[in-house]
Amino acid sequence: MLRKIFVLTLLTVLLFGCAPINKSTNAATIVTVDDGLGRTVKLSGPARRIVSMAPSNTEILFAIGAGSQVVGRDEFSDYPAQAKSLPSIGGSMGNYSNEQIVALKPDLVLAAEINTPDQVKSLEALGLTVYYLKNPTTLEEMYKNLEIVAQLTGHESDAEDLITSLKVRVAAVDAKLANVTNKPIVFYEVDATDPNKPYTYGPGTFGDALITEAGGVNFSDAAGITDQYPQVSLEQIVKTNPQIIILGDSAYGATSDAVKARAGWGTIDAVKNGMIFPFDDNLISRPGPRLVDGLEQLAKLLHPELFQ
Amino acid sequence: MKIRPYLFSLLALGIALIMSLAIGSVFLSPAQLWNTLIGHGTQVSNAILWDIRLPRTVLIALTGMALGGSGAAYQGLFRNPLADPFLIGVASGAGLGAVVAMSIQWPYSFWGLMAIPMAAFAAGLLTIFIVYSLARVGKTIPTTNLILAGVAFSSFATSLTSLLMLRSTDDMRRALGWLLGGATQSGWTAVLAIVPYLIIGLGILTFSGHALNLLQFGDDQAQQLGLNVTRTKTILLIAASLATAAAVAFSGIIGFIGLIVPHVMRLWFGADYRRLIRLSIIGGAAALILSDVVARVVIAPQEIPVGIVTALVGAPFFLWVLRRAKNQGYW
Repeated sequence: MLRKIFVLTLLTVLLFGCAPINKSTNAATIVTVDDGLGRTVKLSGPARRIVSMAPSNTEILFAIGAGSQVVGRDEFSDYPAQAKSLPSIGGSMGNYSNEQIVALKPDLVLAAEINTPDQVKSLEALGLTVYYLKNPTTLEEMYKNLEIVAQLTGHESDAEDLITSLKVRVAAVDAKLANVTNKPIVFYEVDATDPNKPYTYGPGTFGDALITEAGGVNFSDAAGITDQYPQVSLEQIVKTNPQIIILGDSAYGATSDAVKARAGWGTIDAVKNGMIFPFDDNLISRPGPRLVDGLEQLAKLLHPELFQ
Repeated sequence: MKIRPYLFSLLALGIALIMSLAIGSVFLSPAQLWNTLIGHGTQVSNAILWDIRLPRTVLIALTGMALGGSGAAYQGLFRNPLADPFLIGVASGAGLGAVVAMSIQWPYSFWGLMAIPMAAFAAGLLTIFIVYSLARVGKTIPTTNLILAGVAFSSFATSLTSLLMLRSTDDMRRALGWLLGGATQSGWTAVLAIVPYLIIGLGILTFSGHALNLLQFGDDQAQQLGLNVTRTKTILLIAASLATAAAVAFSGIIGFIGLIVPHVMRLWFGADYRRLIRLSIIGGAAALILSDVVARVVIAPQEIPVGIVTALVGAPFFLWVLRRAKNQGYW
């Protein structure tokens, strides 16, 4: 008898104990967010099985603590290291495997600007929930993206902590550079397959913005170039004469010695003074939280005396 | 042993269709496939088979039909073994149209998504019209003029396309992916959109074998044999271009199929256009489906553009057929 009463009481407590919680979490966790294509994306709660379609998205998800909710990633997502052990959904030449995505049964597919509206449409047609995260153009917009992804995945407070710490780090860099007057001209090499016509970053890219914020003058600004990813002539580089060359293509084999050996590059100040540095391009080409790492490293390269 | 051409090619097409449904980046066992086919699939296997593989296979098959059929028609029309559906500029014109459309940010809606294929289709047909008008001398269209005007205009359009891609601030992968071929839109929309043009275009070609046979004697002879040469040429050009432009609009530029399939069919089954056109339509579908299967699995889950596979696998295959050909003067 006692046991029966105990069980009954327990069940009652459990029932009433759970019901209000369930109710409130349901009501509180319906997520409705507008995405970068002007679509309204609805989730019935924080996403639990997420497929990331871009390296920047993967980095954002892991940075805000949603890494364990990620079940698939694009081929190029290689950071953090845990991401690499997740199943790949393809992505080279913009070709993704919809079959693979469907098989992972995601409740959210996080697309990015490298994905086309066609791809979003085809995933939507398969009954999947797709959020298209627009690329940020400023650090502030990047923080906003962190908040959006946090909202989709239920990590709002983690994201707030992350944003605060990122802002503190950016402020620290800004403070150190506050009185800098010598701003070197920086040539950031994106690709120099043809060393007579390398590619660099122009206005409107993070490459340009972060070099400026790190106390330098981006080559494109110094040379008056307005394209976002201009291919520039060696003549123009020699004329603008950058004091620092940063090799964003070091992952593809560009080295300081190779630059020195290039015909015609010897007259540039940066080459004469050996101011050529390899750099991890992922820190500024992927619009995620590691942009702040990129800013710190650039500032150290441009003004080593201030970062002893 | 006499091989029946239609039986053989339809059998090849059947095998290709089955492979295309059975093989993909996600492995489905024969049992799973069977269960899905008879309506007992899981949610995932249903989506993969019915919503991903089937529409894609159909679109690729239709594209292959268009390319194979127009390739054979163009070769007959121009009496030139190097002719392919893209000879007088459908592809380069469509490519230009597509890349121009890609440089604009379209709203995310049905028509916004259709903008690129529609621009490609319109620009492809416009190119044919321009080339045709340029090549026309009085009331005749000399074949040489048509080829030269086509090749020159194609080069012009291709350079413009490259220039636009270099100047674009956007990611170029989308444009590059389109230019190398491969289905961009999945689902049935694309299939429904191109079917009417294929029915008209391929329908005309299917029954043009006799006219093409006559054209092989040369324009003057054909005229004397009672064929209205200019009118026939114009109709065939329109039919082949319509089918090609529609196919290219959704699948991008897939090279080689339109050149090689008619030659293989000719080597195997003879040069009678009444048969050759139809066999090339069937063979084009089979060849492109098989190429697409390879494109899907070779580095799965990555996919490579099907336009790369058609030449990579197609060229050695064709050389093998050519080498074994007993009838050296087959053309």
